[in-house]
Amino acid sequence: MEFWKDETEPIKAFLALFENAKKDPELSEGLKKVNQLIWFDYTEDGPNCSFHVDCRNGDIKAEVGKPEEQPDLTMSLSADDAHRSWSNKLNPVMAITRKKIRVKGSATGLLKLAPKLKRVASIYGNTLREMGWEGKIIA
Amino acid sequence: MKGYSGRFLKVDLTSGSTGFYEPTHDHYRNFIGGAGLAARIFLENGDFEADALAPESLLIFSLGPFAGLHLSGSSRFSAAARSPLTGHWADSSCGGNFAPELRYAGFDGIIVSGAADYPSLLVIKDLSVKIESCQELWGQGIESTTSILKHRFGQSFKTLAIGPAGENLVKFACIMNDGHSAFGRTGLGAVMGSKKLKAIVLKASKKTFYVHDPENCKRLVSDLNNRARESVTLGVMRENGTASNLEGGVHLGDVPIRNFTSNFWEEMAEALTGSTLSEKYLIRRANCAFCNVACKRVVQIDDGPFALSKGPGPEYETIAAFGSLLGSMDLAATCKAGRVCNDLGLDTISCGSTIAWAIEAFEKGDLGLSDTAGLKFKWGDMRTIIENLIPLIALRKGKLGRLLAEGSVSAAKRTGGDSNSYTVHAKGLEAPMHDPRGGGHGLALTYAISHRGACHVFSPMLFMEMGACYYPEIGFDLELDPMSSDNKPEAAVVAVTLGALENSACMCQFADREITIPEWVELFNYVAGMNWDIEDMMKTGRRIFYLQRLINHRFGIGAKDDVVSRRLLAPATDGAPEGIEINFAEMKRRFYELMDLDSISGSPSLQVIMDHDLAIEKSRVMGDLF
Repeated sequence: MEFWKDETEPIKAFLALFENAKKDPELSEGLKKVNQLIWFDYTEDGPNCSFHVDCRNGDIKAEVGKPEEQPDLTMSLSADDAHRSWSNKLNPVMAITRKKIRVKGSATGLLKLAPKLKRVASIYGNTLREMGWEGKIIA
Repeated sequence: MKGYSGRFLKVDLTSGSTGFYEPTHDHYRNFIGGAGLAARIFLENGDFEADALAPESLLIFSLGPFAGLHLSGSSRFSAAARSPLTGHWADSSCGGNFAPELRYAGFDGIIVSGAADYPSLLVIKDLSVKIESCQELWGQGIESTTSILKHRFGQSFKTLAIGPAGENLVKFACIMNDGHSAFGRTGLGAVMGSKKLKAIVLKASKKTFYVHDPENCKRLVSDLNNRARESVTLGVMRENGTASNLEGGVHLGDVPIRNFTSNFWEEMAEALTGSTLSEKYLIRRANCAFCNVACKRVVQIDDGPFALSKGPGPEYETIAAFGSLLGSMDLAATCKAGRVCNDLGLDTISCGSTIAWAIEAFEKGDLGLSDTAGLKFKWGDMRTIIENLIPLIALRKGKLGRLLAEGSVSAAKRTGGDSNSYTVHAKGLEAPMHDPRGGGHGLALTYAISHRGACHVFSPMLFMEMGACYYPEIGFDLELDPMSSDNKPEAAVVAVTLGALENSACMCQFADREITIPEWVELFNYVAGMNWDIEDMMKTGRRIFYLQRLINHRFGIGAKDDVVSRRLLAPATDGAPEGIEINFAEMKRRFYELMDLDSISGSPSLQVIMDHDLAIEKSRVMGDLF
């Protein structure tokens, strides 16, 4: 992995990102509109390298690992590309076309989030700073 | 040649005679079908001197080789003619269910010439053809025309019809298939109207046709259909229609607002996007024949000023043309406006754009109350637009109706003042609902170099710039930045080639995104026995692009016409593309260099003509080779 020491690091960073996103009124509303159970699957970088976000029923919960229920949407990619994606440095359409991101399920909800990727990137940058990981921020 | 019927139906409405026209093997092989073969047929049979609406003009309906396959995206076909709107060569594409039926009936297309003395109906049952009088249908809307024809001939008959707009020779009149799918662009409904041809009805007894390699063809079609069914992007299209990413488009600055004067309107984004249409008005999804994508909408609006019975719903272009472009975020109004335009037989893009021009003209004082029959125009006043303006255009009613029925460019010329400065078009065709400043700088280039004018389906450039295309087999692995002019001429070379192939094979630009370049070659080989490799196929695409330019050259189009309106190149004043300049001149210069086009005539060089086996075609167009 280019950006991470081990498989636990990206999950820590992404869970912290979602904790901070929940505090942002605009993003929080945007996530609720997605209204899906999403599994972010980075297991190509380690068996425990994944987390899920449940933003159904007006709530947002992000937890480590694969959800017990069947996810509405699974996004499989490398932890490095996930880092690029949350940093708004990876065009998601291009990444899907080139099979860097493999998507299973309905991506309709995610389209609601696409316009907010810049805002996500800004919160992600702050999150990495809070964690003392400024070095991981992509210029 | 397998994959084709080998014949076009030839109809002369002046004499009332019908017959067959058989293109040569080389014409099929070199120009495929659809837009490409229609251009070649025009070259062989057309009259360059004839006005678009004169009896001598030809209206050509042309199938691709894949029509009739049970393949997602393959049920489109082309109509082509000299455009009454632009005055030069044009073609338009339509989905629905007519194309496979025509192939099963035993035809690769229909060539209509002449003009009848009375409103006429062309009835095709397999190879049997009749021309009938249909005075009772003249003046009827598309909905009632379609309904009467289905009642009279049977529900299984497919229809192509024009509405009052086509009868009244409105320059952006469309032709509708079964009331839901349109040959929208370039005013071909007016050509049909000038020939007094109200409708074509069609039925084939058998539902089969022969392909070159049935076994491999079946396997490939099955693979491609499965992929279309499982595709994430096409799944989104199925769920929320072609407007599924309207919200994202607003944030990119792609969706035009108030006649392309703004590139960002946040509240409008959610109000008009595809998921909102699904939540509020969607009754069911619909599809073109054999398509797994089902991006068409059937909607119903129960109450309010724009209440609507169950029927065809709007696609993205209609939603934007009668929404954001006119300063409205009333989704119900876009549904109603789309339905009214369909029934009257108007292209929603040119109609919305012409009305947007008129509102701006009124706002700026170039049109006054004496020009508008006392109507006051303002952004977002959808009642006036739907109840007054659209019918008045379709019926050419009064001074205003006659003015706007000519399209925005002609209306601006007649109006004078500064009103030409806010027309938004290329070569006289109003721009579709993708603003190159946000949607991608390459779009400005492909709008400009398109033979038919500003059109987003002339090439897949829009998809290439958003990142939805990856063709390493032909060297297209560029990661394009939509808001930069870098690498766009190189991308445009690929785009115009693939666009010519798509529009000649008559494949849907949504559904065919999942097909790889080697699979395209296999499709041509398995269906039509082309025996091509990748370079043969790409050369054929380029040949068609060059042929269309040669024809336009004869119509007086040169390099100076390969431009877009100033408004599309002025730096945006808001939204994501704010302040970014499009380097149009350099993109065009480089594209001309890459395609070896003459900087004055815009025509291909002699070397290109020879390399692409176009010597006969050039001689026919120019009178001699040199």
